[in-house]
Amino acid sequence: METNDDRLSAQQSLTLIESMIRQAKGKASGNSFYFLLWGWVIAVCNFGMYYLMKFSPYPNYAPAVWMLTIPAWVVTMIYGARQGRSQGIISHLDQVNKWLWIAMAITITPAWLFGEKINWMVNAIILMPVGAATFVSGVILKFLPLRLGGIVFWAAGILCYFLDPVDQYLVGGFAIILGYLFPGYLLRSSRE
Amino acid sequence: MLKELDPLLHSQLRLGVMSLLMGAESAEFTFLKEKTNATAGNLSVQLDKLSEAGYITIEKTFRGKKPLTRCRITRKGIKAFEEYVQALKGYIK
Repeated sequence: METNDDRLSAQQSLTLIESMIRQAKGKASGNSFYFLLWGWVIAVCNFGMYYLMKFSPYPNYAPAVWMLTIPAWVVTMIYGARQGRSQGIISHLDQVNKWLWIAMAITITPAWLFGEKINWMVNAIILMPVGAATFVSGVILKFLPLRLGGIVFWAAGILCYFLDPVDQYLVGGFAIILGYLFPGYLLRSSRE
Repeated sequence: MLKELDPLLHSQLRLGVMSLLMGAESAEFTFLKEKTNATAGNLSVQLDKLSEAGYITIEKTFRGKKPLTRCRITRKGIKAFEEYVQALKGYIK
């Protein structure tokens, strides 16, 4: 495309438009970093919560393990800002995927913050939207293991309704490993 | 009667840039340059024309010490592009 005032025929214009739009749209970058970071953080928090509530002499301090999510948020924001600047193109699907997870985080945060008011029945509540976001991410990235991960979260979420609050954290930890970390590692190896 | 095609869009490079930006949230100068096969100087001039018309916004920042230019289509640009495509359909029929 050397010249700037060359006249185009209508058909040439349409062909050009189609070709350019095809090159720009429809691809999400599929970065596994967030899946691995949050997968490990949430798995450690879940297992930590389970261990401290069940076996430690100070179960009241168990919720403190969730403080781990604060540095994870900081890392996420710094990484996200750097990543946004280093991508040649940000597709609409990248934006949809990003806002899906931000919306999901907003949806589940009250359950974490006010878990005590619902007797820490937190996992029964949060695993369902996490399943939805994981499943939809799988659709956006066209990546089957994430869709299956979403189904794992839904199954774990339903199971949690039948368990006591402490055991729910054990289920939550395993659900994260199977539904989030495992697909995250598969995503990383498939996109390398 | 056939509608007149927007002269700002009816040029190969500017139309190429606008089409790329229609399909993306935003794109870097280097990406646009690679996809359009334009020279940096020519692309820069055409981006300025689109920006002056309010069809795109150009954000200039730095990545480390290197300058980074990112372009994004505006609402006005989207409207102009859609009208251009509508007018184009008239020519094809």
